Order: sequence, then C-alpha cells, then structure tokens
Amino acid sequence: MGKTFKGRAILPANLAGEALVSRRGFNAYASFYNSLHDDVESAVCADRGNAQLFGRNMMDKIICLPKTTGSTSAGAVWQRAASLGVAPKAMLFAHSIDSLAAGGLIVADIWTHHRICTIDQLGEGFLLAVQDGDWLEVREDGTVEVVGL
Amino acid sequence: MDYLDTINIHLSQEDLNILQGAQGPSLQKVMEAVVRYGEALEARRLVDIEGPGHFVIPWSSPGIAPPIELLEELAGAGLKTKFPFTLDPKPALDFENLFLRPEERAAIEAMYRNQARYDELMIQLGLRDQDAYTCNPYQPEVGNIPKRGTILAWSESACAVYANSVLAARTNRNGAIMDILTNIVGKTPLAGLLTDEGRKATWLVEIMTANLPNPQLLGAAIGLKVLEDVPYIVNLNRHLSPKLEAKTTDFLQEMGTACATYGAVGLYHVEGITPEAVDSGRDLLAPGFQTYVIDEHELQELLGSFPLLWTDENATPERCYIGCPHLSLRQLYWWADAIRAALQIRTRHRLEIDTVLCAAPKVLEKFKEDESVYLELKEAGVKFSPACCETIFETRLCSGRPILTNSTKLRAYTTARFLPDEVLVEALVTGKVD
Repeated sequence: MGKTFKGRAILPANLAGEALVSRRGFNAYASFYNSLHDDVESAVCADRGNAQLFGRNMMDKIICLPKTTGSTSAGAVWQRAASLGVAPKAMLFAHSIDSLAAGGLIVADIWTHHRICTIDQLGEGFLLAVQDGDWLEVREDGTVEVVGL
Repeated sequence: MDYLDTINIHLSQEDLNILQGAQGPSLQKVMEAVVRYGEALEARRLVDIEGPGHFVIPWSSPGIAPPIELLEELAGAGLKTKFPFTLDPKPALDFENLFLRPEERAAIEAMYRNQARYDELMIQLGLRDQDAYTCNPYQPEVGNIPKRGTILAWSESACAVYANSVLAARTNRNGAIMDILTNIVGKTPLAGLLTDEGRKATWLVEIMTANLPNPQLLGAAIGLKVLEDVPYIVNLNRHLSPKLEAKTTDFLQEMGTACATYGAVGLYHVEGITPEAVDSGRDLLAPGFQTYVIDEHELQELLGSFPLLWTDENATPERCYIGCPHLSLRQLYWWADAIRAALQIRTRHRLEIDTVLCAAPKVLEKFKEDESVYLELKEAGVKFSPACCETIFETRLCSGRPILTNSTKLRAYTTARFLPDEVLVEALVTGKVD
C-alpha cells in the first residue's frame, strides 16, 4: 500500500500511469513548444528552464506539479496536444489550479472529448512524496495513490 | 448536464437559461466552458465584463492559436464578443521588413497558410479593426485603455499584468481560447485578481540597486522568485517618476512582461507609483508576506545564468529583433537617439547587424510621420515591423542562429541572445558582442 493523497477532481477519471515530476512551475507553452505540429508522435519537453523535465517525453505520463507558469498562449496548447494524441494522461497539481491550466484543460475536454484527468489541491506533501517513475493510481474522487517504482 | 449537480458556483437565472440552451447550442457549449472554468477557480459567481478585451494569439499556428474549426463553429453560430477587442501582433508575414532567408519565408508562408481566414473570423467574432494587432494595446495611438476598476477578461500575459497593475483594472490571466469564450458570454468568474483579497501582495520586493535596473532583467528575477504571487515592489520610486508618464509606464510594461513570462505574475504593486499602491500603500501586503531583496549582484547572476544557445557560440550576430513586447512611440525615439549617438561616436552610417524594431501599426504610422528621424534610421539599415518577432522562430529554421534581442521574453522562448539595451546598441554598431 503506497501513500495516498486526496485532492479535488476537476476533470475526474480512473486511471494509472507513470509519474513525471516537475518540482517547479510547469511552463506549458515552453514545454510543448516542439510538440504541436501535425506529424508529432511524442511530446518531448522543450523547456530548457525546467531541468527536471527538459528532454523527457510527457505523452501518456502523469505530470505532477505545483502549478503552471508562463505565457497565456498556453491556453490553446492543451487542446492541440489532446487532439494530436500526445497529451499527458493526467495533470496532478499540488496547489490550487491556476487560471491558464484550468481554462486550457477544460476547453480541451469539451472540444476534443479527450480527457486529460485533472486533480488539484493535493498538497505540498504529495510533491515531496512522489518521485519520477513512480506508478500512480488515480481515482475519480480525486484520490491519488503513490504506489512506487 | 450532470456536472451542474456537483458545482458550487452560484449561477444567475440568466446563466442557467444559457446553460440549458435557451440561446442555442453553441452559446450553451461556450457557457458550459465558462462555468466549469469558474468552478475550477472556486469563483463565487460570474460577473459582467465591463470593457473591451485584449486577446493573445492572433495567428493561425496550430497549437498556439485557437483552432480554425473552433472559431468557425463560433462565428457560424453568429456569436460575437460583447465589446470589440484588440489582439496580439500578427505573425511575421511582412517579409519585406524582417531580413528572412528564402527558406524561412517559405516555411512561414506554409505555417500561416490559414491566416487570411483566421483574420476574417476574428473580425466576425468582434476584432475592433484591421490595425488592432499589438501586444501594447494601451498605447494612446491604439487606445484600448481600460479605466480603473473595470472588470475585464484579458489574456496576453504581458497585457493582463499591465491592465491590473498600472491601470488598476481587474482581470485574471485568462488563457487563449478561454479569453474569447468569456468575452462572448460577456461574463467572467469572480475569483483571483478580480477580488480585493486576490489583489493583496504576498511578497515585499526591495530593490536595492544604486541605479534604475534593466526592467526586463528585474521582471525576470521577480517572476522567477514569486511565480504566480503578487509582489509589492519598493524603492523603484527612487529612480522612476511617480507620475504615470511614458518613461515610467514603458519601464513597468517591460518589467511586467518579464514577470509574467518567468513566473505567472498577473499583478504587481509599485510603492508610490501604481494606483492601488498610491492609495493603500503597504496595507496591500497580506499578513505573513515574504521578502525578496534584489541588488546588482542578483541581477548579474541572473544574466549570467542565461545559456547561450547559438549553434556557434562565437558566430558574428546576423540579426536583431527589438520590440517584444511592442515598442511605444517614446521607445522608438529612444532607439533612434541611441543608434544615432553610437554611429556618430564611431563615425559610421550603417548598423553592422540587420535590425528590426517592432511596434503597433498605429504607433509605427505616427513614428513615420516624423520623416527625418524615420529616414535616418532607415538609412542606417533599420527596418520596422508590426509583427510578432517570436513567430519567426516558430519555423525552427532560425533556431541556433546568431540572433540578438533586448527581450527576456523572446529569449525565454527561443534561442535568441538577450543583451541589455545599452550593450545591444554597441553590438549593433560594431557587429560584435563583447
């Protein structure tokens, strides 16, 4: 039994997957900068300012983060990544979700019908507990279990 | 509509009617997005938008702009924003102004092949006019200048932070697509920076530099430290006029842009200068605020941390883009004076590096009326563009090339090298970076 955290399910889903952890603000625009063209098959993080994620494939991962940062252009990034099939499976926020991520993820959900599960308010303890590569089980009530490697 | 059973946001009867399709399925879908957005932000309710919008992303690049299909759906349903809006600058399609190589031109043409249709759709959806493209819309020549306290739903991060901080209007940092959706509904969530408590500062930022620091470096430092929080900045009034005249507002525009890029700052207060700080002073600081001290060493360290991303680090610079965000009229004259002085000192007539100054169409129009200055710069090799210079890099064809900029925002998203204004002028004249 791993550690369990309870957050608020904004876009709920039941799923499991591998954690990719950004301990600093996640700049969605910079991260997906190279992953939005018609022929992409993955979403390799292009944000040189994010040493933890730069060069890592975000597609189908569960991204664990405090909040998103950066340009408001990012609002459209989620819709595009979802429609190209290169989006992460889930976005798990330690803090309350920021307006950019909220707007972008909700628009993606309504207009592409491709859900990127979104849970916020998981707490600082969640980011301290979760490690890159950990297996996570996410439930639609906002519960996240860090199963471990 | 099962999500309605689970939400806490208070909806008016009008909101509910729209949600139930009383004004058609397209507006119903738009309203659903806005309500869910409000719920995610823990808004108490939706409030009426009271002034024109300014939106991010005026070009058709996939992934960055709202998709054409979505805009067609909205326009096809006859939907339009409550007020006419302004938009960020157009993509780099004015090739005659941009020193592009043939392969870059071809790639940009292909990338923005839907631009004409995109522009038509924006007009249908409420774009003010064909000249309303800039990331500096509150310039007097452009005129999207909201009054204090006006409820807005702006997006472009550089503009939202300015509207909140310098103009004391009230907007959250809305993202692309959600910007146009909220302005179509004419309502935005009452949350965050729209509320008095959301406008309290949780950081005291003390500027301890001997002179006025570079605004773009200062903004980057603040953004990196405070992320999405609200800073209350002190001591800038030692170096800046407390009157909101052009020199001060230009400084604040550049600083705020960098704050928003390197963090997610949507509002800052500057002691003795910005309206809410003038009125309320340090009462704006929330209990338990943190303190951040910035001195010359801090800024030098930040500058030194920017990696040089040119493929050949020793390459001779080939191009320079200035005006991200768009320059004001005063800034255009500053560059004109600085370039003239630097050329005179070296008894030269032309710059060694192809240089573009970017500004709003209406600002450029005004500047060009001053023919002697305009022609002098033109003869020195400077070109002028109303485009967004960042879009040049979207093709990836100039990634790693020796391109300079005075913008920490452009540096953040591309491989362009940042130099502070005074250093950059020297480089433009000598062709070298010391």
